[in-house]
Amino acid sequence: MSAVAQKAVSKFLEFIDADIAAYAESCVHCGECAEACHFYLATKDPKYTPTYKLFPLVKAYKRHKAPLSGLKKMLGLVPAEVTEDELREWEPLVYDACTMCGRCTLVCPMGIDIAGTIRKMREGFVAAGIVPEGLSVAAANAERTGSPMGVTLKALSAQIVRQEKETGIKIEIDKKGADYMAILSSMEIMGYPEIIGAYAKLFKQAGVSWTISSEAFEATNVGVQIGDGKMAKMLVQRIVDAAEKLKVKHVISPECGHAYGALRWAGPNMVGKEFSFKVVHIIELLDQLRREGRIPAGEKDGRRMTLHDPCQLIRRGGLLQEPRTLLDDSCSDFIEMEGAGIANLCCGGGGGVSANERARELQMAAFAQKLKQINDLGDIDAVVVPCANCRTVFEDGLDEFEVDLEVVGLGELVAETLASK
Amino acid sequence: MMLHRLIAAIFFIALMLVSVTTINAQSVRPPGNAVNQSTDEQIGTSNTLGPDSQSKYWHDLRQGKSGLSTTGRSGGLLIQAQGEQWRLIRKNYIIKYSGWVLAAVLVILVLFFLIRGKIRLKGGRSGQTISRFSLPHRTAHWFMASIFIMLGLSGLILLLGRTALAPLIGKNVYSIFASAAMQGHNLFGPLFIVALVWMYYLFVPGNFFKMVDLKWILKGGGLIGGHASAGHYNFGEKVWFWAVAIVGLLISITGIILEFPWLSANLQLLQISTIVHAIGAVGLIAFALGHIYIGTIGMEGALDSMTTGDVDVNWAKEHHDLWYEEVTGEKSATHDQGETGHAQVYSQDKITGV
Amino acid sequence: MSFLQIVEGPLFYIAAAIFLIGAIWRVIGIIKIGHKRDLAPPKGSGKVGFVAGNLRHFLPRKIFAKRTWVHIIAGYSFHFGLFALLLFAAPHIDFARDRILGFDWPALPRWGFIIAAQFAFAGLIMLWVRRFSDPVMRLISDWDDHIGSWLTFLVMLTGCLALQESHNALKAIHMLFVDVWLIYFPFSRLMHAGTFFLSRGYTGATYGRKGMTL
Repeated sequence: MSAVAQKAVSKFLEFIDADIAAYAESCVHCGECAEACHFYLATKDPKYTPTYKLFPLVKAYKRHKAPLSGLKKMLGLVPAEVTEDELREWEPLVYDACTMCGRCTLVCPMGIDIAGTIRKMREGFVAAGIVPEGLSVAAANAERTGSPMGVTLKALSAQIVRQEKETGIKIEIDKKGADYMAILSSMEIMGYPEIIGAYAKLFKQAGVSWTISSEAFEATNVGVQIGDGKMAKMLVQRIVDAAEKLKVKHVISPECGHAYGALRWAGPNMVGKEFSFKVVHIIELLDQLRREGRIPAGEKDGRRMTLHDPCQLIRRGGLLQEPRTLLDDSCSDFIEMEGAGIANLCCGGGGGVSANERARELQMAAFAQKLKQINDLGDIDAVVVPCANCRTVFEDGLDEFEVDLEVVGLGELVAETLASK
Repeated sequence: MMLHRLIAAIFFIALMLVSVTTINAQSVRPPGNAVNQSTDEQIGTSNTLGPDSQSKYWHDLRQGKSGLSTTGRSGGLLIQAQGEQWRLIRKNYIIKYSGWVLAAVLVILVLFFLIRGKIRLKGGRSGQTISRFSLPHRTAHWFMASIFIMLGLSGLILLLGRTALAPLIGKNVYSIFASAAMQGHNLFGPLFIVALVWMYYLFVPGNFFKMVDLKWILKGGGLIGGHASAGHYNFGEKVWFWAVAIVGLLISITGIILEFPWLSANLQLLQISTIVHAIGAVGLIAFALGHIYIGTIGMEGALDSMTTGDVDVNWAKEHHDLWYEEVTGEKSATHDQGETGHAQVYSQDKITGV
Repeated sequence: MSFLQIVEGPLFYIAAAIFLIGAIWRVIGIIKIGHKRDLAPPKGSGKVGFVAGNLRHFLPRKIFAKRTWVHIIAGYSFHFGLFALLLFAAPHIDFARDRILGFDWPALPRWGFIIAAQFAFAGLIMLWVRRFSDPVMRLISDWDDHIGSWLTFLVMLTGCLALQESHNALKAIHMLFVDVWLIYFPFSRLMHAGTFFLSRGYTGATYGRKGMTL
């Protein structure tokens, strides 16, 4: 076995816990997962069958780690070693053709978490140095600046100043002892800075004391997307340090899918200790403030809207009801698409796919599936997308297919439809 | 289209049920002369080898001069004379000829393969494919094929085993085979009906005869008289479809009668059923041998349509040119040019919409 | 000792022992690999999630059922048919009473057996047929899948061929396949019957801790 393959296999084996072992043992190769995967639906190419993407990892498990594999090895009944060629063949399947959206788990009769296993599998590919170029660039940026797009503090400050002017509300940076510390995704800072103004407006009305750290303002965790545990930990640590330094009680995860899972669910496990603060998602927080009557709803938006469910927030994050309650208050003509909620289709650009230039064609094909799902609703004025990454994927895709459809963030919509004091 | 097929399938099932029940209704007879004891002639064990000739004995029985009998489903009949005819027909015609028919088909296929060889694609494989059978079509086909093979094997053991197998393996061993074959045949029989209805429903569109089929016949399916044009199904395939549908229906009806003999009180019906069942089944098996031959070793590229469901573009042009044109909306250059039909004339870039 | 006595006597007990020890070994082996403790504060109960995950995946979701109905029908038809045959066929109950358990329970009537067998066969044949005619299943299937399907098929078939219960040879052939099946089971994908609850449960537990409704 080549040194490269060896590195990958060792990482695979390191990450195979009882969960993944049970998954590898239980898959009966029924192929139903293909019917849940937007990449398969878009191309009808069998190689995009989700369980097929796991084959190298399963091979390594069956050869080295499965119970009774020793006995089977003696009889020559274990699969061959994973080769470097195989890893190179599988690399596009693991990086370009999986957004780790987890829809396949829903259809799987064995309930196998393929998305979570792909995430662990990518660790092996990173260890072997077999990763797509686009993602390496994002990773290098993140290493340097903490942000995949290379967003600097200077850029953020400029956006904050602009939002302060627009809203007339002062936004305090590095305020010690604030209750909440907000972090943002690069996409929001560069593309949708209005969200900063929306935060200011909402929190002012609710009387929430909040701040943004100058040392850790980036929420996107490229480490998690690419499957680089070391970097993922470094990026989480940065947030933990800043939150501890400012002694905040909560960190607000922004409208960004992977960022939430990375910090809320994987974060404490990565840094190896429980956080001294709570992680709340902005949607969770807004829902709570609404229920407490601190941000009462005003006049509703009359446009016909639907909601895109970002996979990492809804299917894999559990925030199923909150965005819907908020939307019911903010929008008078809100309709759901087929499979809305837990079984909604992914936008096609999550899990680092949108940062991966090579995957563009495939990503667009997957987005076409999403678009079809929306078109099936008939006339829609706007789609609410509470994830900055999904949002850029939507805007890019709508542009590509020349579709006239407005894409709005949930936070902004809630801020816009706030009852005036 | 959907509705049309659904109605067709329901009609098919209804026909099957109606025919079984009406046959049964007619067959219920009162136990007539159950208690009558004939006095004018003595027949019984003492008389079977007596002075009366065998023919007179059978003749009397046919005239209804029954002797001692029991009351029961078979109308109080102890001996049914037609049983002997049935036995002779079965032995002297069905068993005898069905073995020869199947052997002859096999010989013809082997000879055909030796002389004609595998029918190759004239233009070779293009590497491009078009979709011929959907996954439901393939699933239904192989489901039917599996059931058919099991029923065919067990049925042939039951029909021919005593003549062909027993002398080879001995009666004791054969009795094991026979017992197993009977159980297996009865078990898989009802599944054949499920498979038949499902297949009929899926495959009936496109299987109705058209004018082009007449031309196909005149050209001997392309074996004589040059290239024969065909749509999605050619004449041979249509005949095969209707043979399966109609003979399959007959086999199903007679099979139900035979599997549930207590439904019917008429022995003659059971006897006719075994004969129809056997003739039909042997015919279908003979046809199936040809079908399997042409689908596998007989023709290059044919099996693809039932494995992946996609056939090579050149295969489609050469064997189902009209269908190819219908699907792709372009000329295949093969049909009506007959003899020439060189695949080289198609340029690759013309294949659009594939 | 006759062939039948061997395959339903010593060979059966050896096969059954390999089956039991192997299967338990494998399930415990998986559990023993263990997990790291989850440090993220949970929103719900992992234990409840484990059970919920197990139950939820019995039911197909409507949105996928439109596409996967063949598998759902064939899968349930096969498994229900198989379990009905395994647990309620009269000869099986007699065998269990005489050789293993010492007590019995009501058996299926003969017509019930036939119907169950037909469901089991129809389902199994359908599932196997799809293995080579569906491009997705073709790609992901390996020899283990096919051997598992065929062995199970042969066990069922030989059992049904012996239905007349008049020939020891037929019963012996059935028992021989049963023995082979039992020995093959713990080393193969047939083990899914013993690991599915872990797979569903672990995912369910993760969902449960995240407070997700399945």
